[in-house]
Amino acid sequence: MFSGKSYHIWLPILLVCLATITAGAQSFRVQCPTTTITHPTAANLEPAYTGPTNFAPGPAGYLVPNPSSVNGAIKCQQISGGDGFATMGDGTQTYMFSFGPLSGLSDIANGLPGTQFPDKFNSVYNGTLLPGDPATTGLATFKFNGAVGLVPNLDCLAENAAAAAQTPPAALPCPNLPAGGLDGHVDPRPIMDIGVLNGNIPAPLMALDEDDEFFLTLTNVGQIMRPDLFEQHTVHFHGYPNASAFYDGVPDASVAINIGGSFTYYYLAPDAGTYFWHCHITPPEHLQMGMVGQIYVRPRQNRVPVGQSLLLALQQQQQDPRTKCDSSADILCSNPLPRVPNVLLGTRATTGNYAYNDGDGSTYYDVEYPLQIHGFDPNFHFVGMTFNPEGFTEMKDKYFLLNGRSYPDTVTEGPLQTMSADGAMHFSQPLPSIIKLKAGQKALLRISDLDVTEYQTLASLGIPMKVIALNARLLRDQAGNNLYYNTNSITLAGGESLDVILDSTGVPAGTYFLYTPNLDHLSNDAENFGGLMTEVRVTN
Amino acid sequence: MRATNMKKAILKSRMLLAPMVAVATLLLTVFAHGAAPGITGPSFDLRAEAAYITQPDGAMVYSWGYGCNTAPSGFAPSAIGNAFCSSMQIPGPTLIVTQGDTVTVKLTNGLPTAAGNTSILFPGFNVTTTDGVIGLLTHEAAPGGVVTYTFTATTPGTRAYYSGTQSDLQVEMGLYGAIIVLPSSIPSACTTGFAEKNRTAESHWGESDFRLAAAAYNHPKACYDREYLFQFSEIDPRIHSQAQAQVAAADCTPTATTPPALPPTCTLNVATEPYVPAYFMINGRSMPDDMDGNYAQQYQHQPYNGNPHMHPGEQILLRVIGQGRWQHPFHEHGNHVRVLARDGNLILSATTPDNSLAGPLLFTTTTTPGQAMDGIFYWTGKGLDWDVYGHNPTSPEINGKLPCIADSNGYNTVDPTAINYYEWCQDHNKPLESKPFGDVAKGGPITLPDANILTNGAWYGGSAYLGPNATVRAVGFTGTTPPSGTIANSPTDEAGFAFMWHSHNEREITTNNIFPGGMMMMMLVDSREFRIDESN
Repeated sequence: MFSGKSYHIWLPILLVCLATITAGAQSFRVQCPTTTITHPTAANLEPAYTGPTNFAPGPAGYLVPNPSSVNGAIKCQQISGGDGFATMGDGTQTYMFSFGPLSGLSDIANGLPGTQFPDKFNSVYNGTLLPGDPATTGLATFKFNGAVGLVPNLDCLAENAAAAAQTPPAALPCPNLPAGGLDGHVDPRPIMDIGVLNGNIPAPLMALDEDDEFFLTLTNVGQIMRPDLFEQHTVHFHGYPNASAFYDGVPDASVAINIGGSFTYYYLAPDAGTYFWHCHITPPEHLQMGMVGQIYVRPRQNRVPVGQSLLLALQQQQQDPRTKCDSSADILCSNPLPRVPNVLLGTRATTGNYAYNDGDGSTYYDVEYPLQIHGFDPNFHFVGMTFNPEGFTEMKDKYFLLNGRSYPDTVTEGPLQTMSADGAMHFSQPLPSIIKLKAGQKALLRISDLDVTEYQTLASLGIPMKVIALNARLLRDQAGNNLYYNTNSITLAGGESLDVILDSTGVPAGTYFLYTPNLDHLSNDAENFGGLMTEVRVTN
Repeated sequence: MRATNMKKAILKSRMLLAPMVAVATLLLTVFAHGAAPGITGPSFDLRAEAAYITQPDGAMVYSWGYGCNTAPSGFAPSAIGNAFCSSMQIPGPTLIVTQGDTVTVKLTNGLPTAAGNTSILFPGFNVTTTDGVIGLLTHEAAPGGVVTYTFTATTPGTRAYYSGTQSDLQVEMGLYGAIIVLPSSIPSACTTGFAEKNRTAESHWGESDFRLAAAAYNHPKACYDREYLFQFSEIDPRIHSQAQAQVAAADCTPTATTPPALPPTCTLNVATEPYVPAYFMINGRSMPDDMDGNYAQQYQHQPYNGNPHMHPGEQILLRVIGQGRWQHPFHEHGNHVRVLARDGNLILSATTPDNSLAGPLLFTTTTTPGQAMDGIFYWTGKGLDWDVYGHNPTSPEINGKLPCIADSNGYNTVDPTAINYYEWCQDHNKPLESKPFGDVAKGGPITLPDANILTNGAWYGGSAYLGPNATVRAVGFTGTTPPSGTIANSPTDEAGFAFMWHSHNEREITTNNIFPGGMMMMMLVDSREFRIDESN
């Protein structure tokens, strides 16, 4: 079709034609294919890691994986960009610019990641979603984790049926339509019913496994409390190595998503670690106003069959240039083979998981807790609900948040709900921060910070913090020596993360505290009690 | 015209910007790049003086800075031809010396008499002083007087220098700078192998070498292909206007000539607390001014910029210094940074220090007052699962179907003159889009939305793909419609991948309450066919 010089002539003409076709297309849609080049077989589980993915040249000029060697799976999630309200530790309702869940609603409300395999994501709600759901219907009966709005593409089904009925049968107008017609077409009504004022702080939790393909659809439902604004939103995957500018979420360097539109971000999961995400539109405003969330990537090592050598598994990873860490050739990889193999912890444990591909079992944990540090300036949020411009130099946080809550809300079980301006209760803060450990267990704390004004310190009273990773990278030198260190406090600025292991071995049962020694942060605005604090509960 | 549009696009999103755009864009240079420019010695004749620096909101901020008392013995890197050294600049002149040099810095105090003495501290070196008067931390130059500092540049690396006199005021006013010590010997790893191939690639595309040296340290892990120096500081304008008013009001008429004596009113009493900075600067400039060229004429007192560019696979040396009063979490989009050294001290493995680093990998490198960090960054696009060059094996264009021959690390490094030198080969020809419009491969995982529901950024290259060849093949000459948003990173010229590097204390990416501004810059990864020229 394109040949020689005529290509330069045809291209603009075709562009114009394309614009006329797509202008009529719907703007909200979700994307969650069941198969791709990288995952050629539909599967809704994580296969065991027994060796690297093998590739062979394919007919279209690129490498295709040997299906039996494929690692990882397809994962999907949908979020809304809009606004909402949250409840502060002193009972104040605070206005937010915020993301909310538009898939995985039940899991999110139960404090779990909302990231789903395609079969869960591509499921249709049987009934009518109500504003405020799942809070309106109630946690006990609301079990839906699919994409809000997803419906069969009836037009395509009908057109295909009509074409097939002709003699001879005509070419199908929608050749790739999945059975049941679920091609990502959505009904905007439930999206607006659920998405408006469903803001969460932190934003919906995401979790991936290495080798996963992740399809994240951001649907901009607008900010109903701020009809004067036409705010775009984006998702910045903070800390992703070798990010693409297109999917980096910086509006200046890429595209931003207008109100009424959906955009699907696409990434192959990066190396394991504790990352986080946020909107990158006018960051001092959108981050302060609450558009911050958590995402972490679990290592291949978790998928090694029980009892098998972790060192051998890490050696297997060296055979794929994408997954290897050769310090002599790559200055930015963090998990070379351990210099000293660990005989005691060297095989895949029957329970628990690992934070990184350590090859020596040293990042083992029994339970994991994402903890995000943040701060709200009530004056800024108040002005943010009005039509006035906010100032930045005098910004001063007065609420100090762990997973969007201040003490004592941090130790309230279940989701916190807030009565919002639509008269419905919404699950505004789904994540408690109670660290629960049985004596002898290890807890992995995935701590990230998206405060926009100052550094914050989190200290542990009683149980030492073992820091195993900074900024989503294992603390290991290029020679393979682990550089973990014990401390009783960590300090982070916005834009930083680290991983801490709390080991309750030898710790008497009881309640311990994580709290900030920035003592003025142990407050909830005017209340001289609360703030950045939560509990570690060790039981026998 | 193009430049003016660019600034307008950048700044369109927030209030009250028209005056600032008009002022700031008059003399904008189009090709503004970085490097780590400075003056060479090892003898330096510096001066401390008052002058006004410019901020993008139009403010002229009364400041004090170090500058050149007489013309320096030279400028480096030599590939930057329009260098100058004012008698006052912020940051002060970057002093570039070689390990083993005996460095002498003669400082003349040209500050207003009421400001009193001044001095320079060189942390990390054993300094001897001559002349001057005794001060708290070092010898000082009295008003109009001179002091000379001498030391041996014993070890390589990046370090800060700053005033040791009434530092809470003088450093705030701008009396700080950087000294770079180059290693006396360069490890062979930094002139062979990929280091050599990268030079071949550079010269093939007509690019100059803008490095000060081939290595930051005499260590095989300290090689680099490009380098950038970023100094972070803040300004509380109330302190500066107080100093300005008190200098103007001070009576410094001598009361006697032999011995000379000044009246007691010839002093300043500027309150440096409470501290409410409104300007957040990198190399003395706030965004977007920091992305104008080094030595751009409109910044007579702020010659250094912050505007890094790189090609895939190049190793980038970041020299980062905290010069203000606060810490700043500097977030480098695009990849991690391997910390090489702090204050000129390499961080090495305890077991094999000769070939193994032990510094952490960080995506946010905190700047700390007085502390310098050296780190290595690169970008390759490895692991994205789609071909960033949008290659299409059935393309009618030769550059659309280039080969990718993987080396042992998976990169296309056989031919350093190829456009796709250092492409990540596992994803070669692998499509991103399910049904693309233009001349890129099809069958990928994603359907891109109607461009009308998106807003394009000023640095958006016009397509998802890297480089003008890929972008034009994918979407045409104007990038995706509507095309007007793409100005600073043209689809047909640069079409790089732009990444924001900025303080993640996000309120510091503002200029006196206006977003965007402050401690922010765009870093561009450019396909090889775009020629990176850091000379203006």
